[in-house]
Amino acid sequence: MRDLFRGELVRLSGEDPETRAKAEVRWERDTEYHRLADGDPAQLWSEKKMKEWMEKRMQRENLHEFSIRSLADDRLIGAIGLFVDWPHKDAWVGIGIGERDLWGKGYGTDAMRLILRYGFTEMNLRRISLALHAYNARAQRSYEKAGFRLEGQMRQDQLKEGRRSDTVFMGLLHEEWLAMLAAQ
Amino acid sequence: MRSILQGKSVRLSAIDPEEMGKAGSNWNRDSELDRFLDSRAASLLSVKATKDYLEKELEKEEAGSFWFSIRRSEDNQLLGEIGLGVVHWNTSDAFVDLSIGERDLWGKGFGTQAMNLVLEFAFTEVNLCRVTLTVFEYNPRAIRSYEKAGFRHEGRLRGLLSREGKRWDVLYMGILREEWQEHNKSKA
Repeated sequence: MRDLFRGELVRLSGEDPETRAKAEVRWERDTEYHRLADGDPAQLWSEKKMKEWMEKRMQRENLHEFSIRSLADDRLIGAIGLFVDWPHKDAWVGIGIGERDLWGKGYGTDAMRLILRYGFTEMNLRRISLALHAYNARAQRSYEKAGFRLEGQMRQDQLKEGRRSDTVFMGLLHEEWLAMLAAQ
Repeated sequence: MRSILQGKSVRLSAIDPEEMGKAGSNWNRDSELDRFLDSRAASLLSVKATKDYLEKELEKEEAGSFWFSIRRSEDNQLLGEIGLGVVHWNTSDAFVDLSIGERDLWGKGFGTQAMNLVLEFAFTEVNLCRVTLTVFEYNPRAIRSYEKAGFRHEGRLRGLLSREGKRWDVLYMGILREEWQEHNKSKA
């Protein structure tokens, strides 16, 4: 059987809270990264605070989170996780590539393909959902490539630099994912 | 939609550690009940020990743990308890355990009714695929009740139990969602 945690460009890894906190604190200094990944106001956390938050996060039993490492040089480049609603077998996926020099090179799409396979074949989910900012066109293209379909918008719920923008919802059903793989 | 926690003569309600501590400590004095529920040596627990244990268990708030007290509908009397615990979410299976504490209320169908309620809860609310239980060979009344609720015999751990100079088996029983649907169709 194939290794679920290894893709073409990246592998999913489990990291100590310290290692992740160090990387997260560095990534969060880049406010563009923050605005692409998150809706909350940007803020800076100490490594200690981030580590404690990570430790708590890793104990949540509905959250299955991984770090993303590049296969070429084993660099820690991002994170991806599924937050599962078990009775309905639906999960929200969140992803971030923290290393700016690797944006737009397919690392995120590769990690997303891994988490989809993990979600549908290991966790036996029926559906995976995500939300993104409408101004994050690069992310939307990546999600479309991974198979997600556009499902709706929450209109103008975001306000950044005096400009309003939408939150976009996308989703992928298990049977759609299977059909996509069969067609490839 | 009708309430899925209300049956014909029993209903499921929340666990109150205060009330259940008192009742549980009392039921626990009956060593026959204790032997039906557990393979360990029968022990006696005080009201406080029972209450403390329940409070700790309830505090855990595990996402896959569903625990109810069983009450008689007509007078609200506390009859026992029933718990459903998800084993693995990705395979959607759970274990169930059930007890009717009052000896003079055994064999009257209250347990079977509570089990029917919990099975409906498991298959239609938690959307599970399978429910498993274990029961001891020397408890034929429980085995009959589980058969009535639709459980099938799946296997046995031979001679695991030792009671009164005899060895007894632990029986495994299980029910799949499709079997439960079929079982209830034929009943209706």
